[in-house]
Amino acid sequence: MKKGLSKVFALLLALTMIMSLVACGNKASNDADKETSTSKTDTTAEGSDKESKAEETTSEPVEISYATFMVGSHASAAAEEEVISAFNEKYAGKYKVVVEELPSDNAFVDKMKILASSQTLPDVLIGKNGIRELAIENGQAVNIKPFLEEDAEWMKIVGEDAMNYNMAEDGSVYSIANQRQIIGYFYNKDMFATAGITPAKTWDEFMSNNAKLKDAGFTPLALMTGENAWTTNLWLAAMIGTDGAEGNKFMNTSYPTNYNNSSVIKGLEMLKTCLKEYTTPDAVGALYANAANNFEQGNVAMIANGPWMCPDFTDETKSAPGMGEKVGVALYPEDGLVSQFEVGYILCTNGKSEEEQKGALEFLKFKTGEYAQSVFLEKAGVLPLTDNIELSAEYKAANPVLAELIELSGSAKYTFENIDNTAYSAIVDETSVRYPELAYDEITPEEFADTLSKLAEMNKQ
Amino acid sequence: MTKNKKWIVLFLLPGILLFSFVFLGPIGVLFGTSFTNWSIGKEISFVGLKNFKYLFTEDQTFVDGLKNTIVWILLQATFHVLIGTTVAIVLAKKKWYSSAIRTIYFIPNVISSAALGMLFLCVMNPQYGLVNSFITKITGEGFTQNWFMDPKSAFFAVTMTWLPYAGLVTILVMAEMSSVSEDVYEAAKIDGASSFQTDIYVVLPLMKNIIGTSVVLAATSMLQKLDIIMMTTNGGPGSRTMNMPMYLYKTVFTNNNYGLANAQGVLLVILGLIVLKSIRKMFHMDAKE
Repeated sequence: MKKGLSKVFALLLALTMIMSLVACGNKASNDADKETSTSKTDTTAEGSDKESKAEETTSEPVEISYATFMVGSHASAAAEEEVISAFNEKYAGKYKVVVEELPSDNAFVDKMKILASSQTLPDVLIGKNGIRELAIENGQAVNIKPFLEEDAEWMKIVGEDAMNYNMAEDGSVYSIANQRQIIGYFYNKDMFATAGITPAKTWDEFMSNNAKLKDAGFTPLALMTGENAWTTNLWLAAMIGTDGAEGNKFMNTSYPTNYNNSSVIKGLEMLKTCLKEYTTPDAVGALYANAANNFEQGNVAMIANGPWMCPDFTDETKSAPGMGEKVGVALYPEDGLVSQFEVGYILCTNGKSEEEQKGALEFLKFKTGEYAQSVFLEKAGVLPLTDNIELSAEYKAANPVLAELIELSGSAKYTFENIDNTAYSAIVDETSVRYPELAYDEITPEEFADTLSKLAEMNKQ
Repeated sequence: MTKNKKWIVLFLLPGILLFSFVFLGPIGVLFGTSFTNWSIGKEISFVGLKNFKYLFTEDQTFVDGLKNTIVWILLQATFHVLIGTTVAIVLAKKKWYSSAIRTIYFIPNVISSAALGMLFLCVMNPQYGLVNSFITKITGEGFTQNWFMDPKSAFFAVTMTWLPYAGLVTILVMAEMSSVSEDVYEAAKIDGASSFQTDIYVVLPLMKNIIGTSVVLAATSMLQKLDIIMMTTNGGPGSRTMNMPMYLYKTVFTNNNYGLANAQGVLLVILGLIVLKSIRKMFHMDAKE
């Protein structure tokens, strides 16, 4: 009897183990079932018939998945939240955006690449750093061009320039830019005045300005080589892009494979001096936040960055009091300016339900529409895609640095893109691990350029 | 015995099924695709041993990563376990401070690696970090060593983020020590052995099995080390702190080269098996079983 009982217990135990494993695997579907059954119960409680039950189910808002890195302390977090809330409010009961928040650019890119490998990208997302290309290759991305062509109002707000920027050779458009970027550099007017300098017109003058700032007791540059080496790579892009016609052509070429040219090597040589002599001790390996903080707290004289940084200068939780009045903006030496559109949003709804496709397209239109562009301009200093979104006189008065940058952009002699936009993501990653070697004399600019060429060639293959 | 077999199979079944779906299948795919040229959206094609040949003959970053991984395995299997065992022997004396030290020493093991990475980035920050501030205070001169980014100190700095913190080894050895009978200590005492002699000649030999297990755990942890390297140096400067998992990760997510990454995965599995077999042989673990 005892033996028989223990067998029963053993069998029950084994069954429990198997059931628990099965149950774990089916959690998601159970949750969905639970939701459906709850909704059914509610409907029954109201005494509705079978038909109204079906209606109840279909009247549930269609969920649109959206992933973003514009959260937390990101400069555009407030604007992002406002736009998403406005969409959910406008389409309440019909569509609902379910947001997946990733706390940094890197976390976002890595996660999206994982999802791309299993063809599970969200409906809408920013396709930067090679995500768009993966989405095209895995078949999830949708060609947006036909939708742009059939909606004249949307097309007007997006603009032909932005559309053409993301147009492939075969005429398809797989992403809509989320912003127009003009990027120069910001400088601390007080420090410049004390050092007796003005924004440099040539690169020789730029290096001489750095020396003068250092002599006056200031740290000239807010550089950082961690993450995507953003501020450092902006200077490098400017050094290359203003080096005559050849350099400018290089910085306007998508996915170049030969970095062994005089413009790149000259730029790296200059940056090496900057990293060794004219920046903070923690610049090599520092994150973007370190560089931004150094400038905003008045510890450093210059930072290369885009207009989205402008709202921070008057935000005393980020900048030293009075910083807004101390900041000036300038073109790079030789009148250079980063001028480009972003890769922007991709629509990954191939193979998804018709409702989801419609909803995601509606969200994409909203996200790149007039209202969203206005909110991002006002709250995050993000420039609209076209002049159709006008900057009011009040806005310009309240944001003098941004207004000055827009004015300066008209006098740029050289315009070019940044390295993040033109290079393979492996190249951007490589610069961040090679800058320390360059700064500590472990490799020469020629070796640096050679490494990038080899990597670019490999990525091309 | 025949009756028991039925029950053994029944109890093992969930585990075997789970292992097959979660590990065995993917390992098969890993081995199979390591001989292919494979990236997202592209036609998969068989390339034989090309990926392996490329890794060893043309890919210096992989070779550096392999060397670093082996060095870290050796350091972890020796110094890390030695430190953990020494701390365990000291704490086993049950002095007034033992309990507090044991808890404090175990803290790095319960903090997530990402948080630990951020912590070390701050502690070793060249401008305002604790380490440089301390050295500046002592020497009276400004000290701004960039520990993680100076090619001369990067490997050392990264190693220091895990090597000394052997809380797990300490806990395991202490648990084993608590099972040693008091009679053994008394016998040693009667024979005139000092406390130090007892530890070295009596306690340590009795700890052989748990030390062997600790060596296995410590060494194989180096085959998974990724997050803290990513947080601190991203494998740089150059490839000075690159290891195999980190490079595998980059090959997939930065270069979108799944075939090459899976070839690295196969080599990682083989390295793991060699490490495991060597340690088991060294500690005669197979013979005992």
